[in-house]
Amino acid sequence: MGSFGGWELLAQMPSDAIYMSKGQVCVATMYTNSSWNEYWENTLKRENFNIGTHTTQSVMVMPAIGITNRLNVLLSLPYVWTKTSAGNLMGQKGLQDLSGWLKWKAVEVKGFSINGLLGASIPVSKYVPDFLPMSIGLQCKTVSARILPSYQHKSGVYVTGHWTYSWRSNINVDRDAYQADDRVYNTNEVSVPNATDWGARVGILKRKWQTEVFVENFSCVNGDNIRRNDMPFPTNNMEATTVGWYGKFQPKALGMNARVGYVTSGLNMGQSTSVMVGVLYLFNFKK
Amino acid sequence: MKKYVPYLKYSGITLAILVGVFACDKTIEEPQRVGYTPASVDEKAGTWKTYSLASPEEISVPAPTAVTSSEYVAELATLKGLASNLSQEQKEAVVYWGAGAVYRWNEIARELAARYNIPPASNADGKYPVPDAANPLADPKFPFANPPYTARALAYLSVAQFDALVSAWSYKYKFKRAAPSKVDASIPVALPVSTLPSYPSEDAVVAAASVTILKAMFPGEVTYLDEKLKEHLASRQWAGMNVTSDLSAGTTLGGAIAAKVMGRARTDGMGAANNQALTAGMIEAAKSRGIKEPWVSQEAPLRPPMLPNYGAVATWNFDKATLGQIRPVIPYVVGSAEWQKELDELKSIQNNQTREQARIANYWADGAGSYTPPGHWHRAAANAAHEARFSEVKMARALALVGTAEMDAGIACWETKYYYYTPRPQQFGLKTSVGLPNFPSYTSGHSTFSAAAATVLSYIFPDQATKFDAQAKEASESRIYGLIHYRIDCELGLVHGRKIGEYAIARGKADGSGL
Repeated sequence: MGSFGGWELLAQMPSDAIYMSKGQVCVATMYTNSSWNEYWENTLKRENFNIGTHTTQSVMVMPAIGITNRLNVLLSLPYVWTKTSAGNLMGQKGLQDLSGWLKWKAVEVKGFSINGLLGASIPVSKYVPDFLPMSIGLQCKTVSARILPSYQHKSGVYVTGHWTYSWRSNINVDRDAYQADDRVYNTNEVSVPNATDWGARVGILKRKWQTEVFVENFSCVNGDNIRRNDMPFPTNNMEATTVGWYGKFQPKALGMNARVGYVTSGLNMGQSTSVMVGVLYLFNFKK
Repeated sequence: MKKYVPYLKYSGITLAILVGVFACDKTIEEPQRVGYTPASVDEKAGTWKTYSLASPEEISVPAPTAVTSSEYVAELATLKGLASNLSQEQKEAVVYWGAGAVYRWNEIARELAARYNIPPASNADGKYPVPDAANPLADPKFPFANPPYTARALAYLSVAQFDALVSAWSYKYKFKRAAPSKVDASIPVALPVSTLPSYPSEDAVVAAASVTILKAMFPGEVTYLDEKLKEHLASRQWAGMNVTSDLSAGTTLGGAIAAKVMGRARTDGMGAANNQALTAGMIEAAKSRGIKEPWVSQEAPLRPPMLPNYGAVATWNFDKATLGQIRPVIPYVVGSAEWQKELDELKSIQNNQTREQARIANYWADGAGSYTPPGHWHRAAANAAHEARFSEVKMARALALVGTAEMDAGIACWETKYYYYTPRPQQFGLKTSVGLPNFPSYTSGHSTFSAAAATVLSYIFPDQATKFDAQAKEASESRIYGLIHYRIDCELGLVHGRKIGEYAIARGKADGSGL
């Protein structure tokens, strides 16, 4: 995804109807490289010669734990670093936010399922949130609720959709005044807009492999825009629509996955292309 | 494993709800300022030395009608009607403006500075269009309210407010018209009433003076400023504080004095501050002084340096001969052992910047989109004066002393920057965690602005001198932590700033206030 503040990582949140069986733990270790050389300053699509190409990289460990066959816990913790190819903005790096999801298969009838997910995230380091676009995250605590309906045919073909609402906490910045909504706030407290995201995906899932194409959208529910020729800020109304492909190959315990995404439209975000590759390992604790 | 399932489910849900409730509250709490009875009404302030007037009563104000006259009685009746049955919106306006006229207009000016503090974008030809005062809302907007521009706008604002208030005080004690609620106790009042005579209204004087200056400095904001003026004047009647003739006399006086102050502004040399034709000569002169590697813009496309001739703008508290005498000595030149040591210090910070160093750099950055370092120090001054319950005229004096010192600091610092034309650390591979200003390195503007302001504030608020001095030092060091200044830029900037502040103090000590 667009990556003003590490939001490309949201795309790696659980968006499938696949469950670990009880006692199974699948640990994914993924490397992501997301870069852009154009971004939307408000609605203006532009380049920036003093940024060149902006790159966000991350390594994320994500265990998926089968509590029961219908209830999984997913955890993730990324280490993120940023850089630019031009200009003199200093790259930022560090552990970002620890997030966790409870994923529950609420309804299952003849290949059709409705899944409910509840997630929360919390920053685990004191990275600077308002040095955008170099910051690795926004320092929000978040709570997310997601509904995820899915249908899978006996052939392995599936269709999955999801819709999420994320509550995002206010944050504190190092400065004691800042500009947002065309005014000056005389405080260090900054309101970060809540956000929604949705996705739709079609693919084939077999025992050893999976392939799918998807479209996803991330949108803040409100917020202000980047001012003309200014830098982004956590209050911005960020939005991005991404199309992409995801695949997985896991013949035995060891496997790998990969994802590519390309932002087709956006607001106050970079038009990023992201590539992810990961290694999967399935542990079986079934007694 | 199964027995843990309900536990996990419910603890997860409970945690989610708790964080959710906490995350839902988006209200931003800002410190609220309210009105007060001043510690002293400063009844002798009508004799204080102004910046622009030959005498406090240079602009004449007609004698008010007697409080026993039928006209005044009719004004009281009108006021009583206006001050009764206030709507919520009117009550909020009363509280907002009641915090102080000088206080609020300084805050408004800082907000305008922040909104206009964006460098122009380059166009398709690789050029940076110059903001056009005749077309202020086009892209790029006029003005680019960078630190020198903002220092100057705030200085003229504070000077106009001060001169207008000194004149108003002179007339107040000449005519001695009591506050409406002291004439007629049945007038409902929503703000503290002091013994200060009410004609002409100090609020109207400040509002009209401020609007006159700010319309000239921010010509795209005429409608916005007129709305603010209208609300401010109306709030004085909703609060039961001023009859119409108090306000109209104040508006006329404040506007006329500010127009006189703007006369100085129009001829202070700002019109030639962006004369880019001078830079080639400046670079040659710097080389002749021993500078080996002159400053080069680090932006793409190369951006012309910010206001290279701002150093020629007229100063307030010292003359041009003094400007040359107090100019800091030549800094360490590129290639010298001392220069290398300071570059190595920056490299070491770049590799291991601590979170506390980043915090200090961010706190003081006051970069694009902010009200700039002069705005930062005006805010500190206004808050300190508010907490000390200064009268309007005494607060205006404090802000004029700080404001003129900040503009002088800007002029003297810019003169130094272009005199030596030294390169930024970024010319030698350093990055920055705060953004790189587009002008020569030596001396640090933050250091000069901060030391000048802190020196003046320590004179006005001696019990807080230690705090202000520590803040200036931190602001200065913040530019090292942000990797955009060598240590010598900061240290000699502080020394320079203190000297500049001393000239403002000398002015303050001689202004007849006895303060």
